[in-house]
Amino acid sequence: MPEVIEVIFEKYQRKPDQLIPILQNVQREFGYITPESVKHISRYLRISENQIFGVSSFYAQFRFTAPGRHSVKACLGTACHVRGGATLLEMLERELGISCGETTPDRRFDLERVACLGCCALSPVVQIDADIYSRMTVNKLSELLKQYE
Amino acid sequence: MTKEKTIQITIDNKTIDARPNQTILQAAREYQIYIPSLCAMEHLSSYGACRLCVVEVDGLRGFPTSCTTPVEEGMVIRTDTAEVKGLRQEVLKLLLSEHPASCLFCTEQDECKQYMGTIRKVGATTGCRYCPNDHRCELQQIAENIGLTETSYPVYYRNFPVEKYDPFYDRDYNLCILCGRCVRVCNNVRLNGTLSFKQRGRVTTIGPAFDRSHIDAGCEFCGACVTACPTGALSVKVSKWYGRPEGQVATTCNYCSAGCRLILQTTKTDVIDALPDYDSAVEHGIICVKGRFGITEYVHSPLRYGTPKEMTPAGYNDISWEEAIAKAAGKLSGLKPDDCLIVVSPQLLTEDLFVAQQFIRQVTGSEEVASSFIFDLDGDAASFINLALASEPFETIEKAQGILAVGFDSTYGYSPIGVKAKQAAQAGASLMSLNSFESNLDLLSKIAFVVNSSRWADVLDLTMSRMSKGKAEKRFADLVEMWGSDLNKTCETFSCSSHNVLIVGPGIIDSPDRGKILRSIERMKNEYSWKVVVAHQYTNLAGMFAMGACPGIKPGEMIKEASADKAVVLKAELIHIDLRKKRKLIYLIGDASFDSLPECEFLIYQNALPPQCSRQPDLILPVSLFTEASGTVISAEGRVLQVKEAVAPYMDSKPDWWILKSIAEKMGKGKMKFNDVSSIQGEIKKIIKGFPAVKKRIEFKEIEVKGNVKTHGKGKPAAWKSSYRGIPLGEVVSGIKVIELKGG
Repeated sequence: MPEVIEVIFEKYQRKPDQLIPILQNVQREFGYITPESVKHISRYLRISENQIFGVSSFYAQFRFTAPGRHSVKACLGTACHVRGGATLLEMLERELGISCGETTPDRRFDLERVACLGCCALSPVVQIDADIYSRMTVNKLSELLKQYE
Repeated sequence: MTKEKTIQITIDNKTIDARPNQTILQAAREYQIYIPSLCAMEHLSSYGACRLCVVEVDGLRGFPTSCTTPVEEGMVIRTDTAEVKGLRQEVLKLLLSEHPASCLFCTEQDECKQYMGTIRKVGATTGCRYCPNDHRCELQQIAENIGLTETSYPVYYRNFPVEKYDPFYDRDYNLCILCGRCVRVCNNVRLNGTLSFKQRGRVTTIGPAFDRSHIDAGCEFCGACVTACPTGALSVKVSKWYGRPEGQVATTCNYCSAGCRLILQTTKTDVIDALPDYDSAVEHGIICVKGRFGITEYVHSPLRYGTPKEMTPAGYNDISWEEAIAKAAGKLSGLKPDDCLIVVSPQLLTEDLFVAQQFIRQVTGSEEVASSFIFDLDGDAASFINLALASEPFETIEKAQGILAVGFDSTYGYSPIGVKAKQAAQAGASLMSLNSFESNLDLLSKIAFVVNSSRWADVLDLTMSRMSKGKAEKRFADLVEMWGSDLNKTCETFSCSSHNVLIVGPGIIDSPDRGKILRSIERMKNEYSWKVVVAHQYTNLAGMFAMGACPGIKPGEMIKEASADKAVVLKAELIHIDLRKKRKLIYLIGDASFDSLPECEFLIYQNALPPQCSRQPDLILPVSLFTEASGTVISAEGRVLQVKEAVAPYMDSKPDWWILKSIAEKMGKGKMKFNDVSSIQGEIKKIIKGFPAVKKRIEFKEIEVKGNVKTHGKGKPAAWKSSYRGIPLGEVVSGIKVIELKGG
């Protein structure tokens, strides 16, 4: 891991304003921001780990847990919300036993909420990996999850 | 000097002069015009979070926040129109919608204050104390000033568990209003970076990364965040629930040689808290954990001696002062100078040290003024003293281009020096740190050498050889291999710069190779003109030498009046204190270095707390500590700093000088006719002009040792822990034990 990080650092100047590009690159590389990588970034940019965490936790794009094999995204945009998106999310949280931004212990699923997937006419929608599932209901979603291993 | 340009502004129909770089709030505060604010603080940059300081300004749209709006010529500002007041009330209501407000709006508040009623079915009359900072809360004060008597919004309780697992202070983020003072003081003033805002929006909280505990996240427990917090979210464990302090006294911390000013908050009998003073010229409010949190528990330790005690076959017996003085006088009289060993702590006040040396010379006729620092430093005492007494002021670090810190770490001590080094590094100075463990300067260092102290002298020598472009010797081969290219770059900046500072930390005292290291430091100072700043734990070492409370040096002899003053010549045998010879009597004045002491027939122990060893003193004389005594200390920078009595002495304890003087009087020896501290100061005035109100830094002559110093070689000093009067702080202050254990 340290070698991979060193390679990432080579692309960036040793200045605090490079923090976000470095974090993005680290997340691309490892799938999430690991505590260990935060330590390395801290030493490289000479800012404390806590400050790095403060910046990265502000943005929804960074995650601090390992992603699962399949990523489930529940849409809570206006249209989906009106048509029961929140119920779907609640059901997902209950079924998977995790809350938003977390990964199941078996690393099968991770769960996120999104603001809009751009297909409001099909609401409520849920995205699993690259596929969009439209007009979802709690029952359909429960069946659907079984197809993913 | 040209007078600074001023800008005329009008606030509430009053014309005032402001300076160009001021904000409206700063200008108003200077003229005692009240504008409420919860997020602005004098030494912090503008932030504009709380929105309470809104004002009306002619020509500006809306209601600008006065803490972020700079003054302009001819500005007309109104701070108390009905509209502004209404707006502030609304803002405060919104703030309080996430802050439990029963302490502010309770129908029974007045009765509660008066009768302290309680709803419990017991005889307790406590009132409902839901917040540890009740009556010490800025938010409460502001709600009163703004005149808010009720709120129309429901309170949303965030329901966080109270965090109590770190030492020194508790955190209840349910009371937090996210003003950001703690985050800014931690990052911008202390340059520590433990606290930051986590996440955003209504789930925002404050704390370190990954929900770590503060101790794991690198917190220095300097308490700056607790001081800055305007609510009860952060509260000091030992002083919470005390309510409003009854008095406060500005004094000087006696835990190390930096001489930080502390504002002690007191009740009638207790010191309840110690706060930093951001206006102090010494440390500018940058105090460390020892001063901030280490005092209350030490001075109010349940182990403190309250009365003189005498050892009997059945254990200790309380005796009166008269008996105790008579006993000590009896044991001391008729002894030959060689028969007794008197050990004086460098952590006494200057006045006590003056009386102590008079006592030793006039009463016992001995010249052997022993002290624990001589035991610690053994044969290297003279070279360390020369370095320490010639320490440059802390400001030297500010403008440094190159800084090298040896054996120095400011995590849990020496904060003013550490923060200055970090500031200089942020401003572009090359910082190099050399230590046997990862220090808190490493993050900002160009190179951080983590090597055993036996190699420190080598690293220093290598730095010097690189600075003069010399060829690397063979003994440096492994160092060059490890850090070669970085070292070359850093040494280049060192050799180009005319202002390099070497920070010498207490780590070198513990090192078995300190002799070699000290010689290398001397070379850097003399041959490469590095300026040296020394941080050490011997609080009043400078006072000791000024007062002549050391062997072979007369009072005032060491004080330099002209720059051409010659070194004081000292015979080697005087520094050598024989720690093997059995003595008839040992008298410890504020010292507890029992491990180094020889055997004796009678042991007098003059201190406040029991020693940390199995050896039992025959006579115990209880002393009052620096919170209970008045006097001065002379800091590492050579400043004469005032120590003021904050509370009355504990039980029957007495100041050191009083005990010494009384014994001498009883024995009918010596000329110590002192009735109070000012009479001693009158005597010291003959040595130091104008004492104790000395503005100038005191400078010292060098010591030149004639002959070879014999080392006593009786045990190496144990790895140093912060201590006061020979008692490790960790043994008395629970939180310090926790952080020392973590330091391993």
